[in-house]
Amino acid sequence: MTRYLGAAGGAVALMLVAAALIFFFAPTDALQGPVQRIFYLHVSAAIAAFASFAVVLVGSVLYLWRDSVRADRLARAGALVGVVFTTVTLVMGMLWAKPIWGTYWTWDARLTSTLVLWIIYAGYLLVRRLAAPGRQAARFAAVVGIFGFIDVPVVYFSVDWWRTQHPGPVIATDALPPEMLFTFLFTMACTLMLAGTLIAIRYRIETLLDKQPLATLVPSPLPPSGAALRAAPPPHRVGRSGEVKAP
Amino acid sequence: MTRSIAVAVAIARKDLVAEWRTRELVPALAQFVVLALVIANFGFQIDSRSAPAIAPGVLWLALVFAGLVAFGRAFAAEREQATLEAVLLTAAAPAAIFAGKALAAGLLLVLCEAVLLPALALFFGVPISFGLVFAVLLATVGMAALGCLFAAMVAQLRARELLLPLLTLPLWIPFIVAGGQAVQVAMGADGTMDQALKLLLDFDILFVVLTSLAARFVLDD
Repeated sequence: MTRYLGAAGGAVALMLVAAALIFFFAPTDALQGPVQRIFYLHVSAAIAAFASFAVVLVGSVLYLWRDSVRADRLARAGALVGVVFTTVTLVMGMLWAKPIWGTYWTWDARLTSTLVLWIIYAGYLLVRRLAAPGRQAARFAAVVGIFGFIDVPVVYFSVDWWRTQHPGPVIATDALPPEMLFTFLFTMACTLMLAGTLIAIRYRIETLLDKQPLATLVPSPLPPSGAALRAAPPPHRVGRSGEVKAP
Repeated sequence: MTRSIAVAVAIARKDLVAEWRTRELVPALAQFVVLALVIANFGFQIDSRSAPAIAPGVLWLALVFAGLVAFGRAFAAEREQATLEAVLLTAAAPAAIFAGKALAAGLLLVLCEAVLLPALALFFGVPISFGLVFAVLLATVGMAALGCLFAAMVAQLRARELLLPLLTLPLWIPFIVAGGQAVQVAMGADGTMDQALKLLLDFDILFVVLTSLAARFVLDD
């Protein structure tokens, strides 16, 4: 428990340092002004989202290959964190686009494919919710997780494949002055660490949830009738990972 | 391999015979696609000048939603009669069973296209060229593979009608992008038909291979 608290505190502290760098160390952009400072967190969050979805892909493949409950938990944790970081990416991007492009949204290839990415993994989370807990949820979600990852390279290469308004890569093209580059790399490292910590914490939560009896997690849509209760056999405990325990 | 093909053909034949005997799905879908054109007319205020710009979008919207219904129905009857378990208990490979279901559902969608394309030619002035028909058929292959995979999945879930479009539509986007390009080229826009057809073929190969690999995990439970 304290381990997770320590990791969470460390990740938050690092993000605060990154924020200080973004606002006080990095120079103001000559063309865009202070709005450009959104870039550091926006791109870092996008990379953290890609990394989280890569975790989902690895967890999904491992689950289907090895039937490992741990791999499935890892995929679950990655999907949730990935959706959060995709949301951050989209919201930050829209806030930047309003003053720079004059509109929150345009149907640009990269924006559209990122929105699709969000929808795909939101669908992944829905499948988890609607499938029978255990094997079925894990299998179906793994299939969605593997198919969904197809969109990640599409988002990444969209600026090369289509004519888009979205700025292209700035790191490989050496377009950033050293202070900006340092701030960006530092923010990216911190954000990746934050994503890793969140996935680890979520993994722990999923482990604990797997040990909970099913009845406390999924409320029955029907009120139990007296006759059915009397006729019912003694309740079995069914964990979320599907194993049935005799009372 | 030949055995798997025989299984797939037998399953597809069974589904097509069932559809021929009831004649439920295809007439309803054919009516639906024509109705979609009527609704599009009211939604877009179509005249002869705006029709070429709007027709490709209308074609793919009608086709996508007809496809969702067709593929959703592919597993609905099996679920209602609880026959899927019986089929899965046989020695046949799940991938072969899945291929048969997808083949039959895809062919039923082709029948709807046989109504949709002439209707588009009649009402929207879309020229029916060989390339356009080929593009629609190529898109149907990939859409059937993906649509049936997720239809097989959601047939086993709660709230299945809700979830099928949410899972399927995002992954159909490549077919709509390339297919839309093909229709625009057919209607005189810039670009080449070959490029759109090649893109469709690439995605067909990708998704047919991926879905046949994944079928085992969705069906064999």
